[in-house]
Amino acid sequence: MSIAWLLRRLLTVLYTLLVVSIVVFGLTQLLPADAAVTLLGENATPEALAAVRLRLGLNDPAWLQYWHWLSGLLRGDFGTSMRTDQPVGPTMFIALSRSLLLGGLSIAVMLVAAIPLGMLAALRRGKAADVVSSLISYLGVSLPEFVTATLLLIVVADQFQLLPATGYVAPSENLVDSIRHLILPVATVSLILVAHVSRMVRSETIDVLNSDYIRAARLKGLPPRIVLMRHVLRNALLPTITIVALDVGYLLGGIIVVEEIFAIPGIGRQLIVAITTRDLPSIQAGAMIMAGTYAIANTLADMAYAMIDKRIRYD
Amino acid sequence: MTDTLRRLMHTPQGVLGCALLVGLVLACLFGGAAAPYQPEAMDFAGRFAAPGIKHWLGADQLGRDVLSRLLVGARSTIPLAVAATFSGAAAGACVGTLSAYLGGWWDEAITRTIDAVMAVPHLLLALILVSTLGKGSLNAAFAIAISVVPSMARVTRSVALAVRQQEYIKAAIARGESGSWIVLREMLPNVAAPVIIEATIRVAFAVMLFATLSFLGLGAQPPASEWGLMVSEARRFMHQAPWVIVAPSLAIAATAICFNLLGDGLRDALNPRDER
Amino acid sequence: MSPALEIRDYVLDYVTRGGTQRVLQSIDLAISAGEVVGLVGESGSGKTSLAWAIMRSLPANAREAPAGRIRLGDTDLRAASAKALETIRGRRMSMVFQDPSTALNPTLTIGRQVTEVLVRHRGLSEREAWREAIRALEHVDLRHPEALMRRYPHQASGGEKQRIGIATAFACRPELIVFDEPTTALDVMTGARILELFGRLRQETGVAALYISHDLALVSRVADRVAILQQGAIVEAAPSATIFRHPRHDYTRRLVAAVPRPEQRLVSDQVADDGLLTATNIAVRYQRKRLFRTAPRPATANIAIDVRRGEILGVVGESGSGKSSIARALTGLADYTGSIALAGRRIGSAGDMDRAYRRAVQIVFQHPDSSLNPRQTVADILSRPLRLYGGDVSTIPSLLEEVRLPAAYARRYPHQLSGGEKQRVAIARAFAAKPDLIICDEITAPLDVSVQASVVELLLRLRAANGTAYMFITHDLNLVQQVAHRIAVMRNGEIVDLLGIDDLRSGNVHPYTRELIAASPAPVG
Repeated sequence: MSIAWLLRRLLTVLYTLLVVSIVVFGLTQLLPADAAVTLLGENATPEALAAVRLRLGLNDPAWLQYWHWLSGLLRGDFGTSMRTDQPVGPTMFIALSRSLLLGGLSIAVMLVAAIPLGMLAALRRGKAADVVSSLISYLGVSLPEFVTATLLLIVVADQFQLLPATGYVAPSENLVDSIRHLILPVATVSLILVAHVSRMVRSETIDVLNSDYIRAARLKGLPPRIVLMRHVLRNALLPTITIVALDVGYLLGGIIVVEEIFAIPGIGRQLIVAITTRDLPSIQAGAMIMAGTYAIANTLADMAYAMIDKRIRYD
Repeated sequence: MTDTLRRLMHTPQGVLGCALLVGLVLACLFGGAAAPYQPEAMDFAGRFAAPGIKHWLGADQLGRDVLSRLLVGARSTIPLAVAATFSGAAAGACVGTLSAYLGGWWDEAITRTIDAVMAVPHLLLALILVSTLGKGSLNAAFAIAISVVPSMARVTRSVALAVRQQEYIKAAIARGESGSWIVLREMLPNVAAPVIIEATIRVAFAVMLFATLSFLGLGAQPPASEWGLMVSEARRFMHQAPWVIVAPSLAIAATAICFNLLGDGLRDALNPRDER
Repeated sequence: MSPALEIRDYVLDYVTRGGTQRVLQSIDLAISAGEVVGLVGESGSGKTSLAWAIMRSLPANAREAPAGRIRLGDTDLRAASAKALETIRGRRMSMVFQDPSTALNPTLTIGRQVTEVLVRHRGLSEREAWREAIRALEHVDLRHPEALMRRYPHQASGGEKQRIGIATAFACRPELIVFDEPTTALDVMTGARILELFGRLRQETGVAALYISHDLALVSRVADRVAILQQGAIVEAAPSATIFRHPRHDYTRRLVAAVPRPEQRLVSDQVADDGLLTATNIAVRYQRKRLFRTAPRPATANIAIDVRRGEILGVVGESGSGKSSIARALTGLADYTGSIALAGRRIGSAGDMDRAYRRAVQIVFQHPDSSLNPRQTVADILSRPLRLYGGDVSTIPSLLEEVRLPAAYARRYPHQLSGGEKQRVAIARAFAAKPDLIICDEITAPLDVSVQASVVELLLRLRAANGTAYMFITHDLNLVQQVAHRIAVMRNGEIVDLLGIDDLRSGNVHPYTRELIAASPAPVG
């Protein structure tokens, strides 16, 4: 891996974060003709409007507003919430840690479930197991998270009272309880991910199984187990990494909804609250943090892929 | 056109997808007329009625007939999502094709910017837009259209690049054809097919995204009977009347499945090589 | 002693959506121990299916008739269980594949892919297998085998990969090796060296081999006996010494006649020294210097090439020699520095190439599948040059007739035509402009040899009728000697020789040209 390659990756991530910050800031603060009216409503008094304008610096030219915000971010100052008057940063990052826990668990579950499912479906292509799993994953990608979550809530928490319906308990407080509260949210988020990823794994594995080098391996007299483990696995898993990276985007969208439904105080929930209460600095911070996380995760996956795929030359 | 339709009917996905599509279109057009009750008609005596003769799919917390709301809600849920997707896809396709055709520095700049914008997940982008523009169906649809543009641009660009490598494009350049002729007459017919397929599948996402926005209270507003909104309103009463949630959920799923199937079917139907 | 391989009365069908298709009919074939039998067939003849049938690796929709028999020595392969086949494959019979790039797993080291056969079948430990693998790679003339073992397939050249494939196939001393067109995907010179290697290994080991190819001339040099496969049936089988000189079956005769023989000139006229297109100091560069990357080498050095009015200029070279780059520069498809003059008029850069130039200089591409727009009918494709260059759209039927295609084809789409037919449409498209020069960029390379012969015949007939000049780019030195007035030999972006056909024959040539001639010997007989 050369320095030039790393440098290019770094520049790309920085450029991405820059564009994201422009998008977030532009859409929230610069897009509306009068952000103050958007925030306080049409019926606000002129004094209140003026106060807000002063507080958020809305009278400055656009680029200056952006610069103030950006330089604040770089210093670690995410602004002050209009709702709570507390600094936004710490709240958001604590919330982020909870979302990362939820997201991390979901990805782990997804990997453990989706990859074997996808490969199995490919190996048993056309047979009953494949058709059934195809149907289930078709359904999985056609159900929005809020539907899955609500249905799970009805069946598991409400009718059968197996698990708590909502709420969050930190693992540091009570591990068992924490897990009990996390099962349904994680299940909801991973369902869509499993459905999506297993379909991809299936089609990648089918491509690999039909390739010349797998046929060559079989014709060398290698037993099926070795062909699968040594030859098929690597080639089928490689593209999966990029798909997982793309799915982090689905994940983030799903997390927002799931946190809302299961009342988990993660960053998604913070964002919804911020939007509903029109707390501009919180909206900006929340969006920036989520998008930034996605951008960084994507880059990490990109690098992991490049390191593993020997075909990519590091020039 | 008819040729494509005929080939679509040869695939099981195409048949199923078209059947579902016909059902959805009928619901959109005639849902109001076919509904047994007025969607807003409240009946406090019949609150939480279980599915039965009087209310085929039951009644919700205000005694409104679920079936009627469902049928009328098709009009609130589907057409906007479809329109949003196709307008976003059209815009994205133009950007993508242009980028592929220009090549060089322009292409790199545009691509990097698209990739960067795509770092904002769809739901997040839609949320930001709605938070700025305000709640409502139209704003939600607009937000969805915007969020579709970058991914469609990327798909279009990669298809356009693959087409550009083909030798018939080189033949056209060697003939001295003008740039616009090459893009419109040589490239576009070959780029259109994969893009249409991708756009059809995106409609499924758009419907789900629209329902999600409504569920979060940021899309369609009450008393509209948009399906996502129905689920959200019924959440509080899920203990007494779970059927109020199940019906719109299945409707959303059916719509998403319909467009996924259509996309899969079109993939076979629009491929010129697959003549049997 | 039982033969190494015996196939009796073997019948194979494929079941498709369109019905059942018979791929192999009543195949009778026997290979004695130590014998090399060649199997020659054009595309669609079923030769690859026979290879799969022997190795028992047929696709799911294959149906074998119950009567047919395939025996490896004393073993009935058809009756063998899956477990039994695992011990037979790689040890008693192995295979060398056509495309060495796709036959090796891109995510495993080369060493791993060689040692696993040794570990599996010869019971060696990993360490012993590693040493043995290095020895095997040395034996196939690979330099620095220890380093090569640690590399990945994409870091080895095509020739190296094919040697590795051969080494793997020979590693367990099998009774039979099936070679599926092992040199088709390689350059002429690399392929020639692989054939030498094959000859040497065969002498040393005495292995029996089935050598499959579409190239009758090549096979008759390599095999003891040759069987000709036409549409699933063996129409003739004879010792290779006689099959070329005395072909008996009609199809064999056609194949033999279609093979280019350099001494058989197809063009007998002389050409005046009337310069049509002169290019000087042409250097073609493909990529501009990008950020953080070093500038790539130009595809061609400063070269000078010219075509005379009405002549056929052959341009030969291996892949990467720059011959296609010249074609692209002359048609404005690639950036170049230098100058081109057409009938005296100077063309400074691609921007100067106006309609008159483009009409006069046309190009036909290599891949018939991608040179025609799949969404346009033949009529659409042909009408374009007519409209651009002042022809008449009503002449399309006569254009089609000139290239020996039925007028009804005008309504067809490219995917409804065969490879040869598509190439004819591409030629018709070039002629529609009534050009002075047509650049043929390896147009016969992907075609079967009999189709190639008919396309060449078509080109010559059209030239006789229209007086067009050709720049005929190819890697087939024998073919080019049949048709060209002058030949340019290219290597690594430079023209090493530019001679008239008589000078080429005289032997007074660049050493590289001599090597090239040696690597493509004239067919026996």
